[in-house]
Amino acid sequence: MSEQIEQALSRKYEAGFVSDIESETFAAGLDEEVIRKISAMKNEPQWLLEWRLKAFESWQKMEEPEWAHLHYAKIDYQAISYYSAPKSMKDKPKSLDEVDPELLRTYEKLGIPLYEQQMLAGVAVDAVFDSVSVVTTFREKLEEAGVIFCPISEAVHRFPDLVKKYLGTVVPRSDNYFAALNSAVFTDGSFVYIPKGVRSPMELSTYFRINEQNTGQFERTLIIADEGSYVSYLEGCTAPQRDENQLHAAVVELVALDNAKIKYSTVQNWYPGDENGKGGIYNFVTKRGICHTNAHISWTQVETGSAITWKYPSCILKGDNSVGEFYSVALARGKQQADTGTKMIHLGKNTKSTIISKGISAGDANNAYRGLVQMGPNADGARNFTQCDSLLIGDQCGAHTFPYIESRNPSAIVEHEATTSKVSDEQLFLCQQRGLNAEKAVSMIVNGFCKEVFKELPMEFAVEAGKLLEISLEGSVG
Amino acid sequence: MSQWLEQVIARGEQANLTGPRLQALTALKQQRWPTRKSEAWRYTSVTPVEQLELSTESAAPASPTKIAGLDSLDLVFIDGVLQQQLNTLSLPEGLTIQALTTLNTEEHSATALFAQIKPAHHLFGLVNDVLAEQGLIINVAPGADITLPVRIINLSSQGKESHVRVVVRLGEQARLCVIEQGEGQDPCLHTYFAEYQIGAQAHLEHYRLALHTGKALQVGGNHFRLLEKAQLSSTLVAFGSDLSRLDVDIEHAGEHAKAKFNAIYLLGTGETFDLHSCIEHAVPNGTTEENARGIVGDRAKAVFNGRIHIHRHAQKTLAELNNRNLLLSRRGQINTKPELEIYADDVKCAHGATVAEIEEKALYYLLSRGISRSQALIMLNFGFIQELINEIPNAPLANWLHDKLRHKFSQMEVK
Amino acid sequence: MLKIHNLHAKVEDKTILKGLSLEIKPGEVHAIMGPNGAGKSTLGYVLSGRDGYEVIDGQVELGGKDLLELETEERAREGLFLAFQYPVEIPGVSNMEFMKESVNAMREARGEEPLSAAEFLKKAKEACKQVHLPLDFLKRGVNEGFSGGEKKRNEIMQMILLEPKLCILDESDSGLDIDALQVVADGVNSQRSPERSFIVVTHYQRLLDYIKPDFVHILADGKIVKSGDASLALEVEKEGYAWLGGKAQEADA
Repeated sequence: MSEQIEQALSRKYEAGFVSDIESETFAAGLDEEVIRKISAMKNEPQWLLEWRLKAFESWQKMEEPEWAHLHYAKIDYQAISYYSAPKSMKDKPKSLDEVDPELLRTYEKLGIPLYEQQMLAGVAVDAVFDSVSVVTTFREKLEEAGVIFCPISEAVHRFPDLVKKYLGTVVPRSDNYFAALNSAVFTDGSFVYIPKGVRSPMELSTYFRINEQNTGQFERTLIIADEGSYVSYLEGCTAPQRDENQLHAAVVELVALDNAKIKYSTVQNWYPGDENGKGGIYNFVTKRGICHTNAHISWTQVETGSAITWKYPSCILKGDNSVGEFYSVALARGKQQADTGTKMIHLGKNTKSTIISKGISAGDANNAYRGLVQMGPNADGARNFTQCDSLLIGDQCGAHTFPYIESRNPSAIVEHEATTSKVSDEQLFLCQQRGLNAEKAVSMIVNGFCKEVFKELPMEFAVEAGKLLEISLEGSVG
Repeated sequence: MSQWLEQVIARGEQANLTGPRLQALTALKQQRWPTRKSEAWRYTSVTPVEQLELSTESAAPASPTKIAGLDSLDLVFIDGVLQQQLNTLSLPEGLTIQALTTLNTEEHSATALFAQIKPAHHLFGLVNDVLAEQGLIINVAPGADITLPVRIINLSSQGKESHVRVVVRLGEQARLCVIEQGEGQDPCLHTYFAEYQIGAQAHLEHYRLALHTGKALQVGGNHFRLLEKAQLSSTLVAFGSDLSRLDVDIEHAGEHAKAKFNAIYLLGTGETFDLHSCIEHAVPNGTTEENARGIVGDRAKAVFNGRIHIHRHAQKTLAELNNRNLLLSRRGQINTKPELEIYADDVKCAHGATVAEIEEKALYYLLSRGISRSQALIMLNFGFIQELINEIPNAPLANWLHDKLRHKFSQMEVK
Repeated sequence: MLKIHNLHAKVEDKTILKGLSLEIKPGEVHAIMGPNGAGKSTLGYVLSGRDGYEVIDGQVELGGKDLLELETEERAREGLFLAFQYPVEIPGVSNMEFMKESVNAMREARGEEPLSAAEFLKKAKEACKQVHLPLDFLKRGVNEGFSGGEKKRNEIMQMILLEPKLCILDESDSGLDIDALQVVADGVNSQRSPERSFIVVTHYQRLLDYIKPDFVHILADGKIVKSGDASLALEVEKEGYAWLGGKAQEADA
């Protein structure tokens, strides 16, 4: 069986094409000058430049973290280009008609026809291509409702007060090595503001794409849900197939003010590298949200891509009665390595958090859940429930669980459970005996394993995630 | 580097060490003194070790606690010095016990037995390798069934530093019960490491009563290697002190071995206890069950790190770990981390950890029978650890522990 | 003995008891029957003072004392005993330890000396025999790993040991086979006396063949909708609750 697994797991990465788009790309290397150039390209105000420089200063003093269960050659931060933009973006398109058709075709190949989405799904899309935000659809309809959804580079100019007030408040400039790097060099990302009491009239969505060779992508997303508002935000990622590793170090900050709810869903399918572990995206992402009184943040992620995933979408449950959720499916196959999980920091009274993590390991991959649940001394009546399940496919992979639980409140309750299982020969045999082929059987078993997470995804996304998983596991047994 | 560690190294260099002890000294020189950033010492500070003031005054004579109804072969160390002449003891057939001191002079390679089972990464284990001058080598002949429990008692007195090492080897199909008991409350430092090799089909019943408390610092470990079809049943009972840290390693080196490890910790005001356990399944078909339960009082701190590591070829392993905690005060803290690291697919592994309060239903049941709230809370809280005491097969020991823990618990404030 | 007047109570935001009144004199046995969801178990919880069961109106007196003013354990010491439908398991706390604490708490409340370990053991052993439980039950954790029938018998054993004034049996028959039912009923009957009263809560008439009630009340939608003698139970057995009218029926649905 394992031979067939190996064979099957060497399947092709479907989003691995390169788009032939003329780009303007900085020479590789990072110093203060590069940061000044990025800031100048974006015509940024002085305060933001200073903020970037301070972040850079901290970053230089920091050490790359080594605690994750990940093994990779040291990243040469001087071999990366920190800015790349399609040339045609220099004169920014006012509407989709002005966007380079090649770019649009790229998105189509990725299954994100912008027009179609605009027309049918009613999803507003912000697409980030390499380092710049290409286009934000549906802007007008959103603005009618008072919802701001635009590239963060634009928000810096149009809504300076909001950006200045919230940027770096959830993920501080020097929070960690990769966040500091992002703070210094971030090039674009999405900005969302939902006014008081407003329910966003549609789901907001961003697609990220790394195209250029030797570029890093450092986007920064900031979402502010004002009191009593609601927004559901979707994020998808792909990258072309290249032999070199590419760095992606994003930061996402969510602010849910009193009674607000933010639902943040990710389907991450960056290029994972080839069967020998050559190439692939290094995905080092800091995502964190803060919940004020009665607020609710829900993270859902389906992580199938990247050579390395280092990602811990977290919630700071500051306000009383606030709720944090983390639902995750992480699939690692081939030579992929994932170290992902969440942090739930309970500060307020009666705060609640739920963590459901499903890790699937196949081939030679290593998949680790790493989580922190912290109950502060004032978190009276706080509750956490964590369920971590691992599924192993084949006998060359690894599944790991590292949950940290820290409690300082006698009335807080924390429950953590973890199990491991495999797709057993008996299960396969049963399915096959009932007429299913092995591939279908595995996909069925895996889908069943992930069900609790998929049901948290918005409908269209759930279908996509299921398919993605199916493709990723294609022929994983014979 | 800490001054304390430098002194340890200096003493090691003067001691003319050989074999594994010399290797330990070399390894020790490369160790970093733990800080909050050292994963193995993330929650527990070693500062008390550096601040400890030693005294050269002779200590008041101490005598070991009697355990009513327990008939045992007692070997007593006071401040690291063995109190008996081993050649005067009459031992059951099949049991031999040698003192490390005699071995050091008579049989130069005795300490070659050191660190064969204990992993090299335990900092204080290396310190013990270097500094332990006294200790015991215990052998049980193949097939021997030693019914008389061997009790190794360590008493620590004010201002004293003691380092004791024990190596126990059970031959094939041998049986033995060992009770390790450590006590002390005045400022002192005690390191005690014991290595056990449990031969094929042999059976070890083991207890570690780590009862150093107050200002007494203790750091130690129990390291077990199980050969084919070997069985281990180990119970750890611990109090906390300014620094109390134990590392327990269980290595399945032979197939079809079974290990059961229960741990109870009861931490009074201001006490710290840190338990790191690591279960290594290196071969297929092993079984491990680990249950750790703790009650943490005011300003006390419990640290539990329970790792299960299933190696690539360790198929058909069954391993379960459960850690449950009760926190009695908002000034106390519990830090628990059950870890799984799995490299084989056909295994059943699970872990769970909880931090909770008493179940409302159980409390109501007791109240409805006229029992006062405070008494009901005491009963329920204590019942939580009593469950594991009930699993101790040695009845006199179970009774003694029950009373000892009950007494300590009665002095703790239950909210 | 017990006077309940116009009792209203809620759980979370749901009002369950909606004006229940009932008077019980010493020595009487009252059966309370009713459809599922009528509030039968709630009555026991409210009278014994379970957290989360909030009285919003009405009065309850036990032996002339305002019961609602008292804490759960004080009510128990006043002689109120609730035999649970689903007794909770408490691993680690032995039956023996538990019941000794309980018996001595009652004795203290009555101004009596606590029993010595030996005296208690003697009594406990007798009670054990009376409900056909093996003696090793005393050593085991409270209800830990007991079967449904064993749990019910354990409740009756506690009742025998605690000598309460008012016993509320909450569906003590549910899930029992006929032999176990006989043991439970014998235990209860042995405790009947002119000073001791019983409330027997049950869904079925069957138990009342063994424990003869003086009065039968039908509880529906939080109120007593009909009272009568033992023959009322037989009618219910034959006709169901439907004939009692819309309210009882609804609650059963």
